Amino acid sequence: MATEYSKELISDLLIGRLPSEKVREIQKYTDEGRFEKVLEIEQERLGWAEKILLCLQEHLYVVEKGNRERVVRCSCGHEFGDYHINWKLNALVYERNPQDGEVYKGPKAADPNYMILREFYCPGCGTQLEVEAVPPGYPFVFNFLPYLD
Amino acid sequence: MGSIKDNLLAKEESIETHGYYNKDLRLKEQDPIKFEILYTKALQAVINAREIAVAISASPVVREIGECIFGLYTPEGDAITLSIGVLIHVHTMSRMIKWMIMNDYEEKVGLKEGDYFFNNDPYIGGAHAPDQMIVTPIFYGDELVGWAGGLSHVPETGAVEPGGLPASATSRFHEGLFMPCTRIAEHDEIKKDLEILVERSVRTPEWWLLDNRAKITGTRMIRERVKEIIGEYGEEYYKEAISEYVEDTRRATIEKTHKVLFPGRYRAVDFMGAGTRTLIHCPLEMEIKKGEKMFLNFDGLSSAGKHPHNMTRPCAEGFVNCMVVQHLFYNTRYNGGTVYGMNLNLPDGTICNPPNIFYSTAILGTGLALSFAMNDCISRAYYAMGYRELMMAPNAQTSGLYCGGIDHYGRNFGAFNMEMSCCGMGPSGVMDGLDTAYAQWNPEADMGDAEVWEQILPLIWLGRYIHPDSGGFGKYRGGNEIESLYFVENTDSLEVGSFGGKLPFFTTHGIMGGYPGSKTYRNVTEKTNLAELIQQRKDLPHREGEDPANPEMKCLVKYRSIQMGSEGMYRARPLSRYDLYYQTNGNCSGFGDPIDRDPQLVAKDMLNRLTSNETARDVYCVHVDLQTFQVDEEKTQKLREKRREERKRLGIPAREYIQKTKERILRGDIPPIPKAMYNDVLSISKKFRDEFKDFWRLTEDFKQIPTREV
Repeated sequence: MATEYSKELISDLLIGRLPSEKVREIQKYTDEGRFEKVLEIEQERLGWAEKILLCLQEHLYVVEKGNRERVVRCSCGHEFGDYHINWKLNALVYERNPQDGEVYKGPKAADPNYMILREFYCPGCGTQLEVEAVPPGYPFVFNFLPYLD
Repeated sequence: MGSIKDNLLAKEESIETHGYYNKDLRLKEQDPIKFEILYTKALQAVINAREIAVAISASPVVREIGECIFGLYTPEGDAITLSIGVLIHVHTMSRMIKWMIMNDYEEKVGLKEGDYFFNNDPYIGGAHAPDQMIVTPIFYGDELVGWAGGLSHVPETGAVEPGGLPASATSRFHEGLFMPCTRIAEHDEIKKDLEILVERSVRTPEWWLLDNRAKITGTRMIRERVKEIIGEYGEEYYKEAISEYVEDTRRATIEKTHKVLFPGRYRAVDFMGAGTRTLIHCPLEMEIKKGEKMFLNFDGLSSAGKHPHNMTRPCAEGFVNCMVVQHLFYNTRYNGGTVYGMNLNLPDGTICNPPNIFYSTAILGTGLALSFAMNDCISRAYYAMGYRELMMAPNAQTSGLYCGGIDHYGRNFGAFNMEMSCCGMGPSGVMDGLDTAYAQWNPEADMGDAEVWEQILPLIWLGRYIHPDSGGFGKYRGGNEIESLYFVENTDSLEVGSFGGKLPFFTTHGIMGGYPGSKTYRNVTEKTNLAELIQQRKDLPHREGEDPANPEMKCLVKYRSIQMGSEGMYRARPLSRYDLYYQTNGNCSGFGDPIDRDPQLVAKDMLNRLTSNETARDVYCVHVDLQTFQVDEEKTQKLREKRREERKRLGIPAREYIQKTKERILRGDIPPIPKAMYNDVLSISKKFRDEFKDFWRLTEDFKQIPTREV
């Protein structure tokens, strides 16, 4: 028998409101219709007129606009352009020296001669959308190109 | 009925031609209950074998940690079912059996009931010299109907350093005794001459030899039980059913891939190193296409090198299988069908598929880096499908210590401490990662009892704690690691080394805005006054303490020298009585923007000493009263608003960043170790070269990052 969870339960799950025991229970079964249910919850939460096609990652969605243009949009409304293009190319970038003492203390930080932290921010709301831990000179990682069709 | 080799070749050709392992699932469809009961009986047989082996094994790694696994295989060497344990070896034992078949063991060596074959050659099957497997053929009448196999990790191999994981190995010849597919027992009796070989080749032969007995016992139990099962179900039914179990898993693997992972192209990258001289590139491109098998493409891996972090192809495949079984296919059968349900590309000549067998694979940390990249890609695909609770941000690069010399009973010994079996675990998209609870390579994680390790190694714990701020920061944080402080006791001859992480850089990365977990590291304090402090009942060091730059082992004792930090692996070197060895053993990365974290979770972590006051303020931007641990919501809100504005001020448009960095690349202004990594990969991977040139908009004739202009 296929497992199914209520929209309310999934909604609570997404916002981290469920106790760990309940989360573990849900982890045991991959329920039916999850994709549609999550899109419905996010569509209601964000209240956008345009249809959300996909939750790309935290704060980022692929939405279909009136002209059938499909763009990556932040939860704040800022748009990053066509989803086929890595959204990071339209983000703000901050190259952090891991030893700057602001995030990691003492020996916990990486040596910048091996690795830097590349933080990607939303230009609209300043949310930190991704942190790459890569050597200097590494191309931006295009984490996810969805096959929507 | 042809030879076993003919049957294996025919099977491989059939899979290649038709794509399936077995044409249909006739028995399953005819009588699913009967079909499942037989499978459960086979599963019970391998689990029983493992439990018995754990109970009778001498090795602390098997007895304390459960670092072993047993399996049942088809006549052609495909896994039918496996016990719990070191899951990477579902495939490596399969490789061993197939290698024996392809190398004419049936004809030239001879196979009969009561034979037991030993292998620890990782280029045949396995991961490194300590991973030692024994297989025995199962005959029903005159016909070979399968194989039973058992593997355990033996913590001493007679290598150039004690413990079987020599950090200084630069070739296979530093790793100790290899016995490739050697018959060590006939008529169920162990050969004495081979025991003598082991007794005279390794530091602690009793672990090796008693583990052999445990594995022979386990595999013999499986063999006898399988014959009973065949007697009950009939030979024809059994033979058809085992083929269907593999096919059933292959189909389930593909079905689940498409049920829970959104179609798309996913990319991730992690890095590994062998000391301070190398940076190893471990990229992954995972593609999920409707109706097709999942494709895991590792094109872009660094070249194989003269260090111990190479991996054999069987081992790399084993790591991939181990990860997908835990993160993706945990509710399907686990057997050879998992392997047939995916496509892999591990390019020849790379670190995960070395050009010849002389490359050392002693430590194989690269396999974990591959697994972390898989964690990233699979997590994103889950997220897109809505299954955020099934995500697991990239896990921990485990790191431990090994030692050898004369133990506290006056005996020669070599061993390593597997406390690092409990690292921090990756968070999901709805919950923090568990602290000190997980090791990717053996999901039945258990750190062992300190008291038992103290009986085995001449090291005594001064403290074992959860290391604050070690898990990656994020909306949901990575699991924190263990920090341990030991002192040397009751020996005048001890050398201690370390393997795994302890590199100058992060070995994992956060996802969707989370940070990587902290570096792992060690502090070694020599010629201390610890004995005097104990005598005088003065304060002793137990942990790192509040200030990682000035830890307790530096501030509370007098010493002649202290070495702190992460210069990579650390070849075994002598330590004296009352010297101190401190290590952190592996944490996990974070998920999501840290300033999206629920402030109440931050306050709770502060109260439990899992998050420091500074991190709460500087990274999570949470204002907490340090007396009451109450969160001031209004002040927190202001701190977070301020941080968002700071980011908008500090961040520069990506295209501007790209132009600046491109100029650095063209000037050769890239530090030497990363530059060497880039130039290696640019020379061997067309895919990486094309992407590198395309991203940085370099000219077609660009080949290498130049030497820096003066």
